[in-house]
Amino acid sequence: MATQRATGSVNQRMSGPQETVAGDRPAAETLTPPLLRGEVAFRLLVDAVEDYAIFLLATDGRVLTWNLGAQRIKGYTADEIVGRHFSAFYTADERDEGRPMRLLAWAAEHGRFEDEGWRVRKDGSRFWANVIVTALTDEAGVPYAFAKVTRDLTARREAEEQQRTLLAEQRARAAAEEALLARDRFLSIASHELKTPVASLQLVADSVARARESGRLDDARLDTGLGRIARATRRLAALLDELLDVSRLTADVTPWELAPVDMVALTDEVIARFTDGVDDGRIQLAAPDVAVISGDASRLDQVLTNLVDNALKYSAPPTPVDVDIREVDEGVEVSVADRGLGLDEASAERMFEAFGRGSNAEHIQGLGLGLHIAHQIVSRHGGRIEARARDDGPGAVFRIWIPRDGGAPA
Amino acid sequence: MTQRVARILVVEDDETLRETLTEVLADEGHEVRGAAHGYEALERLDEWSADLIVLDLMMPRMDAFEFREHQRHRPDAATTKVMVLSAARELASAADRLGADAWLAKPFNLADVIDSIAELLPRSA
Repeated sequence: MATQRATGSVNQRMSGPQETVAGDRPAAETLTPPLLRGEVAFRLLVDAVEDYAIFLLATDGRVLTWNLGAQRIKGYTADEIVGRHFSAFYTADERDEGRPMRLLAWAAEHGRFEDEGWRVRKDGSRFWANVIVTALTDEAGVPYAFAKVTRDLTARREAEEQQRTLLAEQRARAAAEEALLARDRFLSIASHELKTPVASLQLVADSVARARESGRLDDARLDTGLGRIARATRRLAALLDELLDVSRLTADVTPWELAPVDMVALTDEVIARFTDGVDDGRIQLAAPDVAVISGDASRLDQVLTNLVDNALKYSAPPTPVDVDIREVDEGVEVSVADRGLGLDEASAERMFEAFGRGSNAEHIQGLGLGLHIAHQIVSRHGGRIEARARDDGPGAVFRIWIPRDGGAPA
Repeated sequence: MTQRVARILVVEDDETLRETLTEVLADEGHEVRGAAHGYEALERLDEWSADLIVLDLMMPRMDAFEFREHQRHRPDAATTKVMVLSAARELASAADRLGADAWLAKPFNLADVIDSIAELLPRSA
């Protein structure tokens, strides 16, 4: 009787352990106790379910029963599959790994197993399945069969994947738009910053010529004019250096020269350059006698210069800028703290990106690339850089850490 | 027709530009004061009234837009003419939003600055 062979009891309790079906065709009847009326109805119900594959497996993994849903999802008729091992539903790789029987062993031990993964149809095509295997046990708790319910989730998975692709595309588009905006912001800043000293040069040259025409050009006036031209030229050169530093770091054309660097001596030099000017006395250094790491001195000089310059630029005299050097965690930490505009959390995250200047920095001179450059250099030394607001009032703290021996740029 | 000697306030954060403009305009016979940003410009206007304000757009502490807000609320300075000088992109629309009487993009010729200023100032017969 084909119908009996294709079905089985869904009783979870049976009077005793069942024999494992042997041979090419299981004699499923041997498993089937007399069916009660309700069980007949239930079996018919299970048979008729089309959206779920619901069937029984023997403890050795052979298929005992089959329903319409199983036929629809997996492509086998009951005649074709009942009696065959359920590993036929798995990919070759999973069969080779012994996964099907491992899952049954797990279900036998824990009572139930739920799994999601690729399964194989009769025609070899794959579908994404949700599988629940429940052990049917006798009164002693020994499994005599497994109930297996399989759902075809391919459509849902494809929809999810489509959704993921869509989201990824949206994110990529947003990132590209943000990059364009950032580039635009940068071009705005760069053109403004570069044009200002150029405007100075032109105005000063024009004014000297005009003074000569009107007979007002004396030595003092000429000297003043030349001094202003020199100042504007230095400004222009510094801006161009900043631009070139970024492109050099990006293009990675200049070799790194690794040598022992005393961060204290280096910081002293950097500070001395700043205290030659108008910021005398604002920078306060606290440091040990020496703190040596392995690194590229000229690039680390650039990092320290950028951090100190940044602190001076974003805070007003006479507030101090505190530079602290400490030996920490097999490396050297330098922190530069100001009492200036400070920074918010969102700005702190973007601060080290190219053109990622803080939202309160619109009117600060410079291209806003200094911290990005510092970040690149510190990373290449295997170190860390961070920015945060001061805990004890307005202002910002920038901290770098360079490992003692880690300064081997890739 | 001779040009009237005017009182001109140069508001510009770049020191070289500010000092040079101040000098050149003084050579032209004008009475000139300088300010490094909008806030300082308002302080100048507290004690001194200008016929013309030469105004940079982007400055620390107080930019041109904020300065104009304050300026418009001062009875003695509300109608003072304004010429914007800036290296900013989209200067024309910024000058328009500011309600400026004239604008010049940086870098500029000195002659253009002097001509523009002359055009803005009333002439005496």
